[in-house]
Amino acid sequence: MYGIGILKGLGVTLKHFVETYVDDFRWLGKRYYNEEAYAVRQGPKATGIFTVQYPEEKLIIPENFRYLPFILYEEKDDGSIEDRCTSCGICPKICPPQCIWIVRSNDPETGRPIPAPTEFFIDIDICMSCGLCAEYCPFDAIKMDHVFEIASYERMEHHILNKEQLSKPVSYYSSIQPKNFRREEEARVAKEAAKAAKKKEREAKKAAS
Amino acid sequence: MTEGLNNPDIPIPDELAGSIAITTLDKIYNWGRRSSIWPMMFGLACCAIEMIATAASRYDLSRFGMEVMRPSPRQADLMIVSGTVTKKMIPVIVRLYNQMPEPKYVLAMGACASGGGPFKEGYNVVAGVDKFIPVDVYTPGCPPTPQALLHGLITLQKKIDKQSILKVNWYRKEAIPAIPIPILGPDLIDPRDYEKIRNLPPVQEESTAEA
Repeated sequence: MYGIGILKGLGVTLKHFVETYVDDFRWLGKRYYNEEAYAVRQGPKATGIFTVQYPEEKLIIPENFRYLPFILYEEKDDGSIEDRCTSCGICPKICPPQCIWIVRSNDPETGRPIPAPTEFFIDIDICMSCGLCAEYCPFDAIKMDHVFEIASYERMEHHILNKEQLSKPVSYYSSIQPKNFRREEEARVAKEAAKAAKKKEREAKKAAS
Repeated sequence: MTEGLNNPDIPIPDELAGSIAITTLDKIYNWGRRSSIWPMMFGLACCAIEMIATAASRYDLSRFGMEVMRPSPRQADLMIVSGTVTKKMIPVIVRLYNQMPEPKYVLAMGACASGGGPFKEGYNVVAGVDKFIPVDVYTPGCPPTPQALLHGLITLQKKIDKQSILKVNWYRKEAIPAIPIPILGPDLIDPRDYEKIRNLPPVQEESTAEA
């Protein structure tokens, strides 16, 4: 008999339709805009419609989700701010679509380059979110952000981000990517310990000879 | 509540000050338009996949009244330029834009449509569709996730909310001139010259040996 497949397909739709109302009764009208219900709706036991009610509810973003890059700065105990970026220029070189632009400057007294960017621009309408800059940065100074709500009416005004707009504290990074942050900190501590041990060894050798 | 209604953000003549008619009409008009933005059904590159995902049940464009993807420009209100625009495609896109009835909006989706993206200096790609048609909302991302696209569409709705019947340019007496359609220009590489290039007479060797 013809048409069985169509009926089966429509049956699936009907099942979801009915289940949505059954779910409504189960949650007593709290099916939407409710964190508990949201977790169930997005889980494997979801029944009925599983639509994310976007502006009110947002999808849980995985840690390694990457959207656009941002640069990190350290907050010292005395309230001062220090850029992690040393303006070494690896990220603009590695960037495949070449969307990063760094301005360096020299110390007017000594004439030596200042190890921090004077200006840092990223054109987010060029960036292809590959994350290579974050991967290649030797100082963990540039990372990928989770913010995606950045649509605007003007490209030139809002989509060419300067250093002020790009800079975010390390505490923000540890809040969006806690696992990665912990791993990097551990690696850094281990590296510094190894360096110190090597130095000690060398000094001991010097003293012996 | 009437305070807000009586003081709209649009210039009204003094003798009409305090009249609530125009504001109410604006609100109904804008509410109607913002709740039924029908996008044109076309996708250009990988961003189109995200656009399709946005229209599917998980993100569900129909919550905003935008589920009716129209394959004809005559029935569409919104052009989502979803993806890389090549030089060969831009005349077609401009023509489609001219064919859309007012009010019409353009949303540049993703890096390529907004600024050229990774192909910004490519030989065959237009570095930003805004050089050829007026873009209302730019949505960065490569590609924008469905939620980012929804945010772009909500931004567009906010723009529509601010518009007023008195100010919009599609109720004027004179017709809005069409946007000039760019012509695919002559390229350095012309396949028609291939035959000529191949069939060149062989280079005459200079008879230096005799001398």
